[in-house]
Amino acid sequence: MILLGAAVLLVGRWLTPHTFHGAILQSPLPAQDFSLMSHVGQRVALSDLRGKIVLLYFGYTICPDVCPTTLAELAQARKLLGRDADQVQVLMITVDPERDTIPVLADYVVHFSSTFLGLRGTPDETAQVATYYGIYYEKHDSDSALGYLVDHTATVMVIDRNGYLRLVFPFGTPAEDMASDLQYLLRK
Amino acid sequence: MTASVIPLLKPTRLLYVMIALPVVGILAFTTLRPIQVLPRITLAPGFSLVDQNGARLTNEDLRGRIVLYNFTYANCGGACPQTSAVMRALQNRLGEIDAGEIPVALVTISFDPERDTPERLRAYATQVGADATRWRIATGDATRLKYALGGGFNLYYAPNPDDTFTFDPLFVLVDGWGIVRAYYKTATPATDRLLRDLRLIVDEARNSAGAARYAYEAAHVFLCSPP
Repeated sequence: MILLGAAVLLVGRWLTPHTFHGAILQSPLPAQDFSLMSHVGQRVALSDLRGKIVLLYFGYTICPDVCPTTLAELAQARKLLGRDADQVQVLMITVDPERDTIPVLADYVVHFSSTFLGLRGTPDETAQVATYYGIYYEKHDSDSALGYLVDHTATVMVIDRNGYLRLVFPFGTPAEDMASDLQYLLRK
Repeated sequence: MTASVIPLLKPTRLLYVMIALPVVGILAFTTLRPIQVLPRITLAPGFSLVDQNGARLTNEDLRGRIVLYNFTYANCGGACPQTSAVMRALQNRLGEIDAGEIPVALVTISFDPERDTPERLRAYATQVGADATRWRIATGDATRLKYALGGGFNLYYAPNPDDTFTFDPLFVLVDGWGIVRAYYKTATPATDRLLRDLRLIVDEARNSAGAARYAYEAAHVFLCSPP
């Protein structure tokens, strides 16, 4: 009877469709490609990363709270994937290319994970990529010693192994929820 | 009563029933399509514009709202494709679906920032009968507009030497997550069709919590799209 119960549970689980925590997209076309300078001094294109799941985030190093929170959650989500973690690449594109030079970016991203890649474009490249991915960003002055701040959309986008935009996580999605969705995408 | 229950509890029969139920459920769901959803096509672009009242309008300001966009310029007249009549008709009927709980907004983006100052956009708003609380008309930096409209919304537009523009009429429906749910590549989509599509997204947003959410997400996984 116990065996039967376990079997029923397993079958039930197998038949229940996975419920995503992020919003799932049915993108008919691959996500817009881009090629930007990475913090390791090499250009990285989205299309170079086919075969891996890409978590794409836009932020900047002087960002007071939103970016460190999200990057820490992303690092944690990757950890939760265990040995599948190396199939997931986190990219952070800076929305403040003027101040986030390559050495500054390099210092920053490895603080969260040595596997993360920080990317930097020219102001024009940044505008193009950010606009395409639905990212609003704008400088605004602040009284703090940090100088200006950059308001920006803080969503995390998931690009699947074939290069299609599959999921969008709103700001504040817990690492466990992201890991659960990623696990599902990795199994497929 | 006991007689009918006991055979069901036979281990093998119970197993069959437990396996069959979800299969029948999924089949019924995908064939009968009790819930219809519009596909989530792609992300709408990011932008920062200035509207007819000189106020800033960004895609972040519109998060949580369902937005219908159209694209034109204030000087669009004569042979220029007229899309404002559809927006106006929709504005007048929005009360049918927008009970205040899930806000719906109309946004017209001008691709003529050089001439379309807020004053001109205000005059245009009066001319087309836009209610400023529901329908905002905005434009912004020309290069950024090219990225947002040409790259993001897939709009074709090009200036002519005589200060007019050639463009393909387009309406785009975007949900509260900033995800494109429908493109209408015509100057005159049917108002009823637009209202039906808006209602589908409003219903989805209204049911985005609790058990109903699972059914809606399943509809996305099984692609239960309306014809």
